[in-house]
Amino acid sequence: MTASTLDSHPLHPPRIGPLEWIRSRLFPNLRSGILTILLAPVVVYALYRGALFFFVNGRWEVVTRNLTLFMQGTYPRGEQWRIVAQLMLLALALGVGTSTSAASRADIAREAGLTVGKRTPLSIIKRFWSLIVFVLVLLYFAATVTPWLVMAGTVAAFLVGTSARFIPSRFRNIGWTLAALILVAAFQVVVGTVGYSWMITAGVLAAGAWATFQFEGVEGRRATVYRTSVAVAAAVVAYFVYTVLVFPGVGWDHWSGLHLTLWVSAFAIVLSFPLGLLLALARRSTLPVLRWVSTGYIELIRGVPLITLLFMGQYILGFMLPQGTDPSSITRAITAMTLFTAAYVAEIVRGGLQSIPHGQTEAGLALGLPTGKLMRMIVLPQALRSVIPALVGQFISIFKDSSLLYILAIHEFLGVRSLVHAQPDFRVIAHAESLVFVAIGYWAFAYAMSKESQRLEVRLRAGKS
Amino acid sequence: MNRERAQVFADATEAKGDVIIEVEGVDKFFGDFQALKDINMNVGRQEVVVVIGPSGSGKSTLIRCINRLEKHDRGRIVVNGIELTDDLRNIQEVRRETGMVFQQFNLFPHLTVLDNITLAPREVRRMPKKEAEELGMRMLERVKIPEQARKYPGQLSGGQQQRVAIARALAMQPKVMLFDEPTSALDPEMIKEVLDVMVELADSGMTMIVVTHEMGFARAVANRVVFMADGQIVEVGTPEHFFTDPREDRTKLFLSQIL
Repeated sequence: MTASTLDSHPLHPPRIGPLEWIRSRLFPNLRSGILTILLAPVVVYALYRGALFFFVNGRWEVVTRNLTLFMQGTYPRGEQWRIVAQLMLLALALGVGTSTSAASRADIAREAGLTVGKRTPLSIIKRFWSLIVFVLVLLYFAATVTPWLVMAGTVAAFLVGTSARFIPSRFRNIGWTLAALILVAAFQVVVGTVGYSWMITAGVLAAGAWATFQFEGVEGRRATVYRTSVAVAAAVVAYFVYTVLVFPGVGWDHWSGLHLTLWVSAFAIVLSFPLGLLLALARRSTLPVLRWVSTGYIELIRGVPLITLLFMGQYILGFMLPQGTDPSSITRAITAMTLFTAAYVAEIVRGGLQSIPHGQTEAGLALGLPTGKLMRMIVLPQALRSVIPALVGQFISIFKDSSLLYILAIHEFLGVRSLVHAQPDFRVIAHAESLVFVAIGYWAFAYAMSKESQRLEVRLRAGKS
Repeated sequence: MNRERAQVFADATEAKGDVIIEVEGVDKFFGDFQALKDINMNVGRQEVVVVIGPSGSGKSTLIRCINRLEKHDRGRIVVNGIELTDDLRNIQEVRRETGMVFQQFNLFPHLTVLDNITLAPREVRRMPKKEAEELGMRMLERVKIPEQARKYPGQLSGGQQQRVAIARALAMQPKVMLFDEPTSALDPEMIKEVLDVMVELADSGMTMIVVTHEMGFARAVANRVVFMADGQIVEVGTPEHFFTDPREDRTKLFLSQIL
């Protein structure tokens, strides 16, 4: 296979007409033909009952009347603008991020004399179709015009964000920094500029400044000193901006619904990955103490059900923290989810590390690479690539398991149902309808994650044919 | 043995001129198994030493001790004036001066050919990207595959991959090159292209220690041939004498089996 494109697409079979399709797929021989005739009524009947439920008998008022509740739960109504702003900022960040990513891939391809598959509206729809289905379901249940306006605004924000592709390639890192900053802003427009949150912004700014500033004609150690000073300066600026600009918000102990589910999962995923990575490296360390601690932690956590950890987070975490710190139950839950997932991530990453032949390490050592760089530039990139499906599987799992927070009386997406069915109108009816709606929501995001992981896998396999 | 021949062997057992690698009384154990027994060997600057011997004789272990991929248990190894001890800085310094080519190539599959070559100069020697890439292209021209620079290792033939591996080692501008059976994993039709590169390298004055089964290469290029068996150096000599008139029975047996 020649690498004429940067993405290696699987080959598609030639297209055939519908009649030919029916003949070759449903009646290829006598046995299959009989099977088709027997099974067809079952499938048709199931589809009929499904359609009847969805379009005729379903009492969907339970969703229509509680759409806001499902989305944001008991979040204070007067502060809703924050969530709308957050949605737009997220779309903006996504636009900036994806267009920067596409542009930088185009740069790489151009340098290598390859072409990149063009992004079309159709390819975007194919990529995110499960999320689009969910959005359409939401709009279908929308009782007012507001959700439509919000959605239009979100799409507009995304499109504005894609103008980041016009940033010249020399400043590509500005695009990444911008996307990260907008992401932080999206979080803070709701929580406000509380506590140590300036540190996140300072970190992003410093990293962005470090990556962007390349001084003409300055190389080696001197360049490192220059870039470090710029990065530190950026962090200091962030700190002062945050001390001057105090922007109060709504803490996450007031969040619920899908909004809470998504953020809780995002935090558990983003935090558990580096922790798991460190645990995996520690478990392979030559220092016995590190190895024992890591192995002990991993085996301990993996031997305990998540629900136990969640309860322990609520009741026991307090004993381990210094007096006076009293994290909210959401923070406790995120901590428990992170600690739990990290143990599994560690084992997955360890599997990946073991799959890398020893010759890779030897080649790196023979070239004089120090062990840190060897790990970062040779072993980890290959190890992580080989475990993407397992990693994303774990992340999908913790996303769905965030529904266990329901048992801690936290009203996340599934838990909102208990509020909905406490309403007199829905006390006894429409339990199935609300469940189906919630299921569609979970599926849409889980499927999108799975699809993105496949994409990432194909993309990283580029050139390895 | 007549006196004249004895004199030739005596000359051939010692490196001529400026010594760059000294190996003195080196023992190496893998558990209870002794892989190297009292190895003494010097290599002079610009010398090409070919190490041959049956499998399991310790040839690879010996050259892997020279850049500390294996740690020797007793004795002394000095490379370019630096003694290999547990001091990490010494080890790093020796590795920077020593290039190694492996039987299985061990290219980095996730990097392009050019990135494979420029990685160490950039990360270890802190060379600017542009300069490193120019150097990388020169090295690729030296091994005669500059047109493959942007490809990934998986897209190249075995012979091309091994030549990239040689270019990668050369890009660190080493004083010594170690070859650990560089053609053993190659299809027969690709062996020549790799050997040609190695011959040119030897002609350019590179100090080389080559573990190989390619007797033709040993005969044509080696200044000295070292024969090892059971972890010991059995015999050292110039190729002419080694192949036509070996002293030791063990050597004669080995040569009769492979020639």
